[in-house]
Amino acid sequence: MRPPSSLKQEFLKKWITGLQRCSSSKRNMSILERTKAIKLSADVAMASARNSTTCWSRALIANASKDGSDGKHLVEQILGLESERLMMKKASTGALVCNKRIRSKKILKRSCRIPRTRKCVPQVALATSIAKRMVRKRTQVLKSLIPGGEFMNEVSLIEETLDYIISLRVQVDVMRGLAGVSELVNHN
Amino acid sequence: MNTASPKMLQCSDMTVLERQNACLKWQQEQLQQQQQQEQQSYFSELSGVFSSQVQGFQGGLVSGDSVLGDMVMTRQVKPDPGLETAWHEMEKVDMAAMGFGPCGYSNGPDFDMNYAISRTSSCPTFVAAAVAAQAVEVKGKESIVSEKMGSTVGRGSFKKRKVDTLQNSKVVAEDDSKRIKACAEEGESKITGPNTNKSSSSNNKNKKETSTGTSKENSKVSDVQKPDYIHVRARRGQATDSHSLAERVRREKISERMKYLQDLVPGCNKITGKAGMLDEIINYVQSLQRQVEFLSMKLAAVNPRPDFNIDNLFAKDVFPSCATNFPAVGMSSEMANNPPYVQFNPVEQVVSSCGLEMGINSLDMALRRTISAPVSIPYASFLDSSCFTQIQPSATWDVELQNLYNVAFDQEGSMPFPSQPFTGTLLEKQNWGPELI
Repeated sequence: MRPPSSLKQEFLKKWITGLQRCSSSKRNMSILERTKAIKLSADVAMASARNSTTCWSRALIANASKDGSDGKHLVEQILGLESERLMMKKASTGALVCNKRIRSKKILKRSCRIPRTRKCVPQVALATSIAKRMVRKRTQVLKSLIPGGEFMNEVSLIEETLDYIISLRVQVDVMRGLAGVSELVNHN
Repeated sequence: MNTASPKMLQCSDMTVLERQNACLKWQQEQLQQQQQQEQQSYFSELSGVFSSQVQGFQGGLVSGDSVLGDMVMTRQVKPDPGLETAWHEMEKVDMAAMGFGPCGYSNGPDFDMNYAISRTSSCPTFVAAAVAAQAVEVKGKESIVSEKMGSTVGRGSFKKRKVDTLQNSKVVAEDDSKRIKACAEEGESKITGPNTNKSSSSNNKNKKETSTGTSKENSKVSDVQKPDYIHVRARRGQATDSHSLAERVRREKISERMKYLQDLVPGCNKITGKAGMLDEIINYVQSLQRQVEFLSMKLAAVNPRPDFNIDNLFAKDVFPSCATNFPAVGMSSEMANNPPYVQFNPVEQVVSSCGLEMGINSLDMALRRTISAPVSIPYASFLDSSCFTQIQPSATWDVELQNLYNVAFDQEGSMPFPSQPFTGTLLEKQNWGPELI
């Protein structure tokens, strides 16, 4: 695992370059636009710091650089050559893998619909089914939270969550530090 | 395969040794009590010990206790009837050989008895051969019996040692199902291979011990006949086909990942169960995402331009100090090309938990110094600040810091230092609430 210091540094560098580039494009931005730009550049920097080793980072960059969205230029500027490499990767592997997963899940669902004869105590069955339903609901919510989470199975979902939480923390730390510093600077 | 049997024997040796020691101690007590009939008591006790050993195994099977103390108890009960039957056995067994039986393969510390035996026995030469033969016999019996005991009985030191032997030696399964299980476990151990060996082996041990712990004592009798370690792992009533095996492996993987998450998400230690854990994880991720949004809004509000006048910040010598402190937070050990979550050690915890404080502290210290002290802050004093005591800096960190610090000094402009004394921590100002705009 990369030590968090180098992760923070990398994130910081990429974020700052992204911000500079995006500020150079537009001069007058409303606060909302600026917010979006900041957040986007932070997210993209965070994702690129992972060097597309994780699924969520790829998905995040892919979402950011969708055709017709604001982020495409930004992504291209931040990542430069890397973005092309990432797009190539994504095109070749990501879509196929996702489709495979979706197909396999459909097959599984169809097979599960075939009723299985089980000898269970009805109370136990009820409790377990309730628990399963709860877990399923929550995994659905988690999948919606994590970028690119819909295509993952449970195990990889948890791994991605772990990585995502770590990178979110790094992001928050750096942003908080920067916000504090710039606030102090601007007060004087 | 070849490594399995000597290790099994070693296991059985150890257990036999322990049993031997307990027996000998008990025998010594008995000796002190029955000092009148010396010769008779010796041989009777020896025979009692020997017969009780043989009987004790069967008794152990019946009683179902593999813990040593319990076996001693059973053996204490046994020899009284054993004494009566001993004389019959004595006729069959060579007495001298029997006398050397216990001391032949017992290397325990209680040797008084053994010396006494050596005094009483008459022909040591062919006794040794007999003892060797018997020792092998007994060992063979014991190994089989210990296997049986391990398979029937569900707990104790046997289990742990067998888990170790299974881990160390890839046991060759005799049936296909057993082979599949072994492969599943091997596969599992291979998957967790990229982890550090210690953590994975400890995790595996914990997992396997818990799985063996959950296997019930009254497993089916049919399992007894097959001398096999993997049956210990199979839970009662669970199918042994590959589907459920794969499912179990998957479930164990998931639970292992959930444990990592438990360490990462604060306040999850008390919660057991998937649904609650997932709840906490969802809340945490949502709160982190919201924090990012608030902070970006705050940054946007504070600065007229999104690039934050970075040149000014660099010039003020505040920003690079916070950037330079980030390497201080890092660890010296770097793993290459592993999935990021894998090396989740306590060190990471320390770093991540105090990373924020360290970052903030470093900013704090930097600001204080820029306010109060003159520009030429000695490099060493900056290093001595309290926040660095927790983590040992590596050599590269020093070099990095020094370079960046020099760069910072070079870039310093003529901007005035903030005059307000910065007393409170930055955290107090970081309320990303409605006060932003």
